[in-house]
Amino acid sequence: MLKDITLGQFFPGKSILHRLDPRMKIVLSILYIVVIFLCKNLAAFAFITLFTAAMVVLSGISLRTILKGIKPLIFILAFTAIYNLFFYGGDRLLVKLGFIEIYYEGAMYAVAMVVRIVCLLVGSSVLLTYTTSPIMLTDGLERLLSPLSKLKLPVHEFSMMMTIALRFIPTLIEETDKIMNAQKARGSDFSSGSLVRRAKALIPILIPLFISSFRRAGDLAVAMECRCYRGGNGRTKMTQLHLSFRDFAMLFVILLCGAAVLLINRFVPGFSL
Amino acid sequence: MNKLELKNVSYTYSAGTPFCKKALDSVSLSFEKGQIIGLIGHTGCGKSTLVQLLNGLLTPDEGAVLLDGQDINRKGGDLRSVRFRVGLVFQYPEYQLFEETVYADIAYGPKNMGLSKEETDRRVRETVQFVGLSEDCLSMSPFDLSGGQKRRAAVAGIMAMEPEVLVLDEPAAGLDPIGREEILGGIFSYQRKKKSTVIIVSHSMEDMARYSDRLVVMNRGRVLMQGSCREVFSRPERLTEIGLDIPQITRFMLALRKRGIDVRTDIFTVEEAKDEIIRVSGGRHRA
Repeated sequence: MLKDITLGQFFPGKSILHRLDPRMKIVLSILYIVVIFLCKNLAAFAFITLFTAAMVVLSGISLRTILKGIKPLIFILAFTAIYNLFFYGGDRLLVKLGFIEIYYEGAMYAVAMVVRIVCLLVGSSVLLTYTTSPIMLTDGLERLLSPLSKLKLPVHEFSMMMTIALRFIPTLIEETDKIMNAQKARGSDFSSGSLVRRAKALIPILIPLFISSFRRAGDLAVAMECRCYRGGNGRTKMTQLHLSFRDFAMLFVILLCGAAVLLINRFVPGFSL
Repeated sequence: MNKLELKNVSYTYSAGTPFCKKALDSVSLSFEKGQIIGLIGHTGCGKSTLVQLLNGLLTPDEGAVLLDGQDINRKGGDLRSVRFRVGLVFQYPEYQLFEETVYADIAYGPKNMGLSKEETDRRVRETVQFVGLSEDCLSMSPFDLSGGQKRRAAVAGIMAMEPEVLVLDEPAAGLDPIGREEILGGIFSYQRKKKSTVIIVSHSMEDMARYSDRLVVMNRGRVLMQGSCREVFSRPERLTEIGLDIPQITRFMLALRKRGIDVRTDIFTVEEAKDEIIRVSGGRHRA
């Protein structure tokens, strides 16, 4: 069912990751991604995996949820692994099966790539999407980008658009479900026939969906105007963001982690990218 | 013979998650052929779940839905053909209109059934008469119709499939009194002509009292009462207990009786009430 999509979903909670300032979380995510790409050898990858696991534990989000989030990427992960395993050349030949040659370097590279993708996905979703409500996220983004408004870029409008878009994803999913059921009741068949026929069968869903989205957008605009919404000029926030000690502590931890990775790269021997 | 039956049907949403919610709890019902059945109950009592079980959009966790004695969810069964036999009109069906013309939209169901052009044409023209749309509307875009007209066009889209059982979820919700009258009247005349079974989900006791042959009252996923309108409305305490209403006129008769006037209270239409009051007042009535 469409309702079961969890990727990019917020799970309310009270963990330290939940309570971080969203601005800091965005900065931390960027730093975290940089650190992942700094990893050069297996020891560094092991270290970053442990670090990511620690973040998952800190967030208090169940392992099942996290695994469910990775599931849609299994195909990409498998493809990456196999591609690197078979086509990455090197000097230490491990196996030779006809035209297929697997090198030690290729195997290591495959492992490194998979670890990198999984850490990237799990870490950033634990830091951002799972533990930050969409409102906080766009709020943080708006504040981070606010210097750009000096250049006459519509930062507030941009973040408002994002907030609204995020807000309406579940609504649209529900709506799609409803319309699909209604058309099924009239004998629509979405799951059989040629590709063209299946694409055609989507028309009875897409048109009502578009129409109701436009209607919703119009209604929302009227409702906002009724409350005198006039864009970002002179608008204040009900909740002000404050950086606190824990935000800086986390920043320190991430920087430390980056330094550790650099040291491991340099001083621990073994396979290196 | 029973056409459509529910046997000990239970249904739970999101089973096995913290959000799980039991919507239906071993419900058994049978719908006789050729009757109009009113399904009433409070918001969240499982009515909408029940109607989606009737045509196989949802599959019961326990129990079975039987159409002519056969389980519709049996292995190798054809759910699509079940949906042609049990037509379901959702709440606010006007939001599912999509074709370029009203004609094409009403013809969508019959076309999916694989009917000939002539037969489809006959059905479209017949159903618009039932729901009271003029033939000029047929060539219009459904999005140019008024709200009430859209609703009627959407209902016609299901009627045109001529299902043996027509199920409507709140067909009159959000319409003005004239709109309600038109849509319910249309359903009524369709039923009289086709002799099909009609199941209507509604909040309005007045409407149900007027049109249905039998009432089913649901509460918290269970069937609380069923019977003729007279039987159900003669026990107003049970209805008000679960937050439902009785028709205004029944309440009026109850109030009269409380004041010491000896009227019958198993009355639920204004016409009946008029006759009863005339009878009690000794026929001193000047026409």
